[in-house]
Amino acid sequence: MIGISLRSLLSHKLRLALTTIAVILGVSFVAGTFILTDTINATFTSIFATANAGVAVTVHGRPIAGQSGGVGGGQNHPIPTSLLATVRAVPGVKDAVGSLFREGATLIGHDGKPIGGNGPPTFGANWITDSAISPYRLRGGAAPTQPNDVVVDAGTAAKNGLTVGQSLPIVFLGGVEEHFTITGVAGYGTSDNLAGATIALFTDSTAQRVLEGQDKYDSILVSAQSGVTDVVLREHIAAALPTYAVAETGQQAAAAAEQSTESTISTFIGTPLLVFAFISLFVGSFLIINTFNILVAQRTRELALLRALGATRAQVMTSVLVEAAVTGFVASILGFVVGILIARALLSVFGSASTGGVTLLPRTVIIAVLVGTIVTVIAASLPARRATRIAPVAALAEALPETQPLPRRRVAIGLIIFVLGCAALVTGLFTSAGSKLQLIGAGFLCVFLGVALLAPVLVVPVAMVLGWPVAQIRGAPGILAGQNARRNPRRTALTAAALMIGLALVTCVAVITDSVRVSTNDAIEGAFRADFIVFTQGPDFNTQAAQALQQDPSLRDVTEVRGTSVIIKGSSQGIAAIDPANLGSVLSLSMVSGTASAIASTNTAIVDSTEATASGVRIGQVVTFDFPQGANVPIRIGGIYTANALVSGYVVSLATMAPNVPTERDAIVLANAANGGSLSQAETALHHDVKAFPLLMAMSRSEYRTFVGASLDSFLNLIYTLLAFAIIIAVLGIANTLILSVLERTREIGLLRALGMTRSQTRSMVRWESVIISLLGAVLGLAVGLGLGVAVSGSLGALGITEIAVPGQNLIVYAIIAGVFGVVAAIFPTIRASRVDILRAITTE
Amino acid sequence: MAAITTAGASTTATDSRPVAARTTEAVKEYGKGDAMVRALDGITVAFGKGQFSAIMGPSGSGKSTLLHCVAGLDRLTSGSIHIGDIELGSLNDRQLTMLRRVRVGFIFQSFNLVPTLSALDNIVLPLTIAGRKPDPAALAEIVRITGLADRLKHRPNQLSGGQQQRVAAARALASRPEIIFADEPTGNLDSRASTDLLDFLRHAVTELGQTIIMVTHDPLAASHADRVVFLADGRVVSEMQSPTADTVLDVMRHLGD
Repeated sequence: MIGISLRSLLSHKLRLALTTIAVILGVSFVAGTFILTDTINATFTSIFATANAGVAVTVHGRPIAGQSGGVGGGQNHPIPTSLLATVRAVPGVKDAVGSLFREGATLIGHDGKPIGGNGPPTFGANWITDSAISPYRLRGGAAPTQPNDVVVDAGTAAKNGLTVGQSLPIVFLGGVEEHFTITGVAGYGTSDNLAGATIALFTDSTAQRVLEGQDKYDSILVSAQSGVTDVVLREHIAAALPTYAVAETGQQAAAAAEQSTESTISTFIGTPLLVFAFISLFVGSFLIINTFNILVAQRTRELALLRALGATRAQVMTSVLVEAAVTGFVASILGFVVGILIARALLSVFGSASTGGVTLLPRTVIIAVLVGTIVTVIAASLPARRATRIAPVAALAEALPETQPLPRRRVAIGLIIFVLGCAALVTGLFTSAGSKLQLIGAGFLCVFLGVALLAPVLVVPVAMVLGWPVAQIRGAPGILAGQNARRNPRRTALTAAALMIGLALVTCVAVITDSVRVSTNDAIEGAFRADFIVFTQGPDFNTQAAQALQQDPSLRDVTEVRGTSVIIKGSSQGIAAIDPANLGSVLSLSMVSGTASAIASTNTAIVDSTEATASGVRIGQVVTFDFPQGANVPIRIGGIYTANALVSGYVVSLATMAPNVPTERDAIVLANAANGGSLSQAETALHHDVKAFPLLMAMSRSEYRTFVGASLDSFLNLIYTLLAFAIIIAVLGIANTLILSVLERTREIGLLRALGMTRSQTRSMVRWESVIISLLGAVLGLAVGLGLGVAVSGSLGALGITEIAVPGQNLIVYAIIAGVFGVVAAIFPTIRASRVDILRAITTE
Repeated sequence: MAAITTAGASTTATDSRPVAARTTEAVKEYGKGDAMVRALDGITVAFGKGQFSAIMGPSGSGKSTLLHCVAGLDRLTSGSIHIGDIELGSLNDRQLTMLRRVRVGFIFQSFNLVPTLSALDNIVLPLTIAGRKPDPAALAEIVRITGLADRLKHRPNQLSGGQQQRVAAARALASRPEIIFADEPTGNLDSRASTDLLDFLRHAVTELGQTIIMVTHDPLAASHADRVVFLADGRVVSEMQSPTADTVLDVMRHLGD
């Protein structure tokens, strides 16, 4: 029997070509994601390993409440410089040096623009003089000794033409430019660079000044005397440390740093990419089901003959599954190879994150091959089951029934899955439980599966409606196109459902972003009183800008808005702080109860009504905020307001927040034009002021609205790109179904040609069938996507999504594009159809 | 006993009636070198207008090939074919398609109908393809004589074999073509259904003046024709006017079928 499947496979290799491509695309996405993240992780691992080579023990502060750890320090409790002496005094310590390593030193390139833009982090650090411990290796020039000396990393220097002796402007924490002289170029460990980030190294005192770490370090790096093991030394040091500090061996520190980068990479790159890879495979499985269904249908007589000759049901099933397994296996291997290419391409997009080749772990090959093969076999198992139901007598049957009626059981199962999916989705959207994302994911999956199962019921009516105008325009080819689209509802439905998934996700995201856009515009029009907004796309900035603007007589109500994370009732939450004196002039909050100015009293907050309801907080109640500095502060609720897209959650005064956070950083600065001055005059003055701060952007209200719109558009474009794989696979699916249908209908097409149908009419017939299938997918996709988008947007009230918007224009464009996809998918099948040999088609063998 | 003319390249229409289609030195070869088969080996024959002609011959005699070539479904290797005044060899694919659409009707042995279309839609299909509207009166007449009135809404798989062939015949007539080509139209039918169909074709020739050229291997079917042309090994070997089943069978035995 296996021999038969293999021979069948070979004779169908053309028919399986598109299935193979679909599996290759899906698997390459999975493999590419793993290879990409593995390569980035490997790069970091080797950087950390070489950089920490001379470090026996590292001392750093405990993580601050409400802050997650990560590369670059600043989120742990700072270490006072005085602790250095304590550590040096521990027996077994050879040398100990303080290290300050923080984000927020942006180099300004020769073109006057920030190097790295809004991309990789920009680190500033102190030069570590003990070269045995230091991760920095001088490659050229000299270490910084003067307050205005700087050493830059070799990678950044080479990429931006920075050379020793040059003057280099640097911006700290979004402030004004300061001028430094490059004294040297250094590597990080044996690397040129820390995976694309920029590093600027200063003397201890300069670093402490510019990075706002006065008399502080982020960690102390310790080397051991010979004969003292790292483990023993760590114990000794730990015993001497105050409670806010911890000691780790160099190895532990490297491992911890590795782990934290790994989890960051997996959260921001790996997991999202895998989600989209999974979507592609899911769509691909529809194509696989269709292909094997058609192959089984075409082989009915052959399989029946095998049954008549004594093959068991199991043997027939195995023969189909073996064919699927071999196809899946071969496609997976190819997909793995394509994945390597994808990872390489992405690595070059992500910048110099990789130093050389890609990291290929055995795990990646195994997962790629298993995933591809298993998806193919599972998808083919439904057609395989159908194959087992072929009665031996079918071998003798004259004609095979064209279509079977849709079993009621299938419709019922479809409905149940659909309803369960909706239930899971709604529960997931409106719960705050930890399983939120899983529930939403399962909900989406079940909704798609349910609709795919129900779709055959919709094929006939929808194809009739869509086919009517086609028949009017195109005559006979149009009529036949409509008939062909609905002659096998299951096949058409499955083909259209694959496109539905991609379009539904696109539509869903479009509805959400449009809701955000409209709600933000509402908020800008309604809640946002200020004439101007100053902000950055990087980390929060220091108060230099606000101070400068306050000096400007063209402006008034210059108001800083700050943010921090606190822990409230056990969960981490962002809160905002604002000067209550100006609150009314820059923001107009609609209050449910109490007043916004209540925050003028110390330790008083206002909170939005959605959050208040969710966490059961009432006006007058006292809630404990666990602040970064470790203080648990009782905060009284002085008012409840309605959330909007710009302001939501808890809001306190600057005075309430200040003593509880380590530094004063502004998230945004708002301002109004001075009384008596014109708006444009104030705007000119503002732009002039902000010019001194290269990282900051100043915008009027309408500019800000455009800016928000543009960022939403680029987010939408990113989603389009990520869903492109799934949509390409769906378009391949349409082409696949059509090619197999054309092969199946060879005689019919021959007959039509004999009866006077021209080649171009034949092409038109296939093309319009394709367009009808695509539009069916579009109709389903837009409907499902609209439902999903409205549901998700509706659940985002807490984020200030007050209005649900339907981007009608986008939806029309999607439908048109789907139609165009139909035309594109039909290119090859139409060629096939128009080349049908009339004689061969009509001659009975 | 009907007149039997012995084979000859000079065989032409036997009376002075106008010619609907004719071939001159028609040669059709398949394959190359040793594997080359000469399906038509220089056939010159004419088919009269308003006549019911049958082409007979043993398997491999080239009868189907001749039909396909005359009908514009296949091209000759050399020689020429005329339908009316038009020489088929000079036509490109599109022109041949238009010729089939306008001047020719077909009835095949099997798979005559488009499965997704109703009987009525199948009957008017050539007209729909051409973007023409059927003449309701003519259509009603065709439906009446084929006896399909109560079957018009049915799909082909809901019709018997005989009914399917009658739909095909009705379709062939509906566009009022110059010639109807029938390729073993009764090949899959029982004798009752065969007779019905042949009577219908006979009726179309006699009453409507339709020209029909039919390939068959069934002497009984051939006996409904006005004239039978016998082929063997790609040549015309004999022909007969006003055939009966018995006289046709005699010739066929003689040809060693």
